[in-house]
Amino acid sequence: MTVRTVLMIFTVAMILVSGGLFMRRLATLIRVMKGARPAQRTDRLGARVQSVVEHVLLHRRMFRITYSGLLHYLIFSGFVVLLIDIVETVGEIFFPGFTVGRVLAPLVDIWVLLVALGILMALYNRLVIRPARFHGSDEKDAYLILGLIAAIIVGIVIHDSFFPFVAREVLHVADPVARSHFLGWALSRVWLRLGWTGPTAASIGYAVGYVMDMGVVLAFLAYLPYSKHFHIFAAVPNIFLRNLGPKGALLAQPPEDTMAIRTFNDFTWKDLLDLYTCTECGRCQAVCPAHAAGQPLSPKMVILKLRDALNEQLAAKTVGNADTPPIAGQVISQDELWACTTCGACQEACPVFIEHVPKIVGLRAALLEDGDIEANAQKVLVAWDRQGNSFGQPARKRPAWAKGLDVPIKDARKEPVDWLWFVGDFAALDPRVQRLSQLIARLLHQAGVDFGILYEGEVNAGNEALRIGEYGLFETLAQKNIQALNQAQYQRIFTTDPHSLNALKNEYQKLGFHREVRHYTEAFLELIETGRLTVRPLSMRATYHDPCYLGRWNGIVEAPRRLLERLGVELVEMPRHGVQSFCCGAGGGRIWMEETNITDRPANQRIREAMTLPDVHYFVVACPKDVSMFSASVTAMGVENALRVVDMAELLAVAVGLETAEDAALISS
Amino acid sequence: MKIAVLMKDVPDLVEDLEVEDGALPLDEMSFVPSEWDDQALEEALLIKEEDGADVTAVAVDTGDVDTMLYTALAKGVDRAVKIVGDFSRSLTNRQRAQLLARYCQNERFDLILTGVQAIDDLDGQIAGLVAGLMGIGHASVVRDVHVAQDRVRFVQEYSGGKMAEFDLACPALLGIQAARKPPRYVTIAKVRQVQKSAEIDEVEDSVGETPVVTVRRLYKPESGGHAEMWGDDVETVANHIVAILEEKKLLRG
Repeated sequence: MTVRTVLMIFTVAMILVSGGLFMRRLATLIRVMKGARPAQRTDRLGARVQSVVEHVLLHRRMFRITYSGLLHYLIFSGFVVLLIDIVETVGEIFFPGFTVGRVLAPLVDIWVLLVALGILMALYNRLVIRPARFHGSDEKDAYLILGLIAAIIVGIVIHDSFFPFVAREVLHVADPVARSHFLGWALSRVWLRLGWTGPTAASIGYAVGYVMDMGVVLAFLAYLPYSKHFHIFAAVPNIFLRNLGPKGALLAQPPEDTMAIRTFNDFTWKDLLDLYTCTECGRCQAVCPAHAAGQPLSPKMVILKLRDALNEQLAAKTVGNADTPPIAGQVISQDELWACTTCGACQEACPVFIEHVPKIVGLRAALLEDGDIEANAQKVLVAWDRQGNSFGQPARKRPAWAKGLDVPIKDARKEPVDWLWFVGDFAALDPRVQRLSQLIARLLHQAGVDFGILYEGEVNAGNEALRIGEYGLFETLAQKNIQALNQAQYQRIFTTDPHSLNALKNEYQKLGFHREVRHYTEAFLELIETGRLTVRPLSMRATYHDPCYLGRWNGIVEAPRRLLERLGVELVEMPRHGVQSFCCGAGGGRIWMEETNITDRPANQRIREAMTLPDVHYFVVACPKDVSMFSASVTAMGVENALRVVDMAELLAVAVGLETAEDAALISS
Repeated sequence: MKIAVLMKDVPDLVEDLEVEDGALPLDEMSFVPSEWDDQALEEALLIKEEDGADVTAVAVDTGDVDTMLYTALAKGVDRAVKIVGDFSRSLTNRQRAQLLARYCQNERFDLILTGVQAIDDLDGQIAGLVAGLMGIGHASVVRDVHVAQDRVRFVQEYSGGKMAEFDLACPALLGIQAARKPPRYVTIAKVRQVQKSAEIDEVEDSVGETPVVTVRRLYKPESGGHAEMWGDDVETVANHIVAILEEKKLLRG
């Protein structure tokens, strides 16, 4: 039997066995996905293809960490080039005389070098740099995979180096690309010197290289779907099937029965695909405010624990059984679930577009259905239900901030207005923020805007109720607001609160409310740009904090910056800004929960980040919750003199000449 | 074990209480479940989870008690009963106790729990009155209730943190101070679902003759001769406080 026959039998056997194992696993995963909840993810084909080009071919998110992006690109592109080698290697054995030609052949050798460089960089990353984001990942698997990839590229060079001799002595064909495989050619010079060029020696040498290459490739095929490296197959579809929005909508449709996730059948099929796409890179963990605060939550570990639990249930054939250990509370602990601020930094960081937040909220909903919720948050849920606000204040106190103001505020329920202002809980009821709401009213008056509010008709928008997992309450609140909004007559609607903005803009759609909603930074930018509001530039330096529900979830990052520019503010960006901003720690209901387990509050970390900026003494915010959170941090840290938290409304007030004694300090700075 | 939880709703104190014509405008006020009754309900549900029990939530229909009873059903009671008749919000404790006692007597509950007090029953009369009318064992201001066969064990706490553990034969009625765990949350969706699928049983009854105490006058505190009123001005109040502290030599200059 010649080496050709042996390798042909080997290859066919490996393809059958590995291919069979691969398909079996794939069938299992597809079956479990079919049993899951629906999700519409095949619309907008053009945008989906574009996103695959951006994030697969161009590695846009991967390159946010340059070193990791580069090493991954080297190895990733190697897999594409590996296809040339596979075709060539199988071809030259099955169809003697087959060749990929002198153009493609050297590409293989070039990429062998590039992949080798990628592997070395990866080893350096894991052994020397050791980013904290890998903590908790399966590093053994990572080394195993790197080892297998190394075996493949070494195998390629080995079989290429022996092929000229096998071609001549055994197959009796020409090898026109022998020299094109420059690495193999160089190694073949060694075999010449050693005299390993006869039919037997060459056959053995070639077979060794062939098995290291094709054998490992096919073994890989069988192993992959059980390993984190399944992302090689899952990443492209997962990116293709990503959520194309609206991004800020936690649920695309109202839940059929409940949004609670109790078994793996309660996830959407896309949620399950997410689990098998995770590469354990830990970028989500590195940006997670709860993780940074020392809480037990890591978005990466949530995905890995869910995947492992699903794998166990797949093995035991218990998926969907009600008597499996509860996912919420056991697979993922209550502390982990309630620690999430729903800031979405994890989703923004994920190179393969895994959606962590809907999973966490669905699991929270299961806890809530069982009556398990943090005591303070429970009080807030009850207050929303009874009074319509988180402060537990009587509904009629909601517009109290507007009383005694020297500018009239119309009741949009009673008379038509041009602009309807949705105020939100904090802006209406927090004494620290009420002052800012009054400023906004005076600014609108100054600009001659015909505006009004819903007075007692407005209740909390429900953004956080939904994110705590209480869909029914969200719906009740939303319907109250929608009813009030439908009764009011207005041309445009804006809000001072990014959380309300997100609910009105993205979540109310599924309840039939479709109006364009703007943030006050957008509204005031327009007033200035159209000349309705005249500003005197401030000439000051400041940094700006992007609220999660404004920047990340709604992509409004330009308007606040252009507004700052118009106000004459020299913006100094913090390292984490725009859609990659760092959460203040208040979102997702966290603002009402106990701060147990927190060793370093996210808001304090953010203030420290701002304080590293040279000559920056103002920290500009554009969210009522940020006013509360960061003012508290600055006070607690005793840095009021070094950094002052100011709301965009205060800057506007000074710039248009409404300054109060306190605000006048901004001009003199 | 058959357990009853006696529940009522009370004015929501989040709203300011206005006195109109010497009375509270009860028709215009919003009502919420009495927080102590919520504690009693939670304790009953915990007993049910621990040892198994058949729990009935009972309320006298003095207004809209349906939401409160549906919420109890959503939380896990087996049955909700509304005693209906011509009852107004101004039903006295004596009258309420009579109605509740009559119902409970017929149903032969082993254990009856209710809130130790309510904001409109600060003396905590309901528990004692109902137990007295029924002629069964009673204790109030208790917590940590456990049942064993036909007896019930519970704890009473005294000032200084001293505790006493009691044992009482059933049937018994306990005024609950606090449940072992904070009352559970029930989602709006679950309450709505229960409103569709479950029903509240109605039992008809009417108020019998009871001695009634009438309210002569309801009024807010008035400034008398024994106190000096400083008014609302922060500056003035602060100056007064400082002056007193200085006078008592509690301030160091």
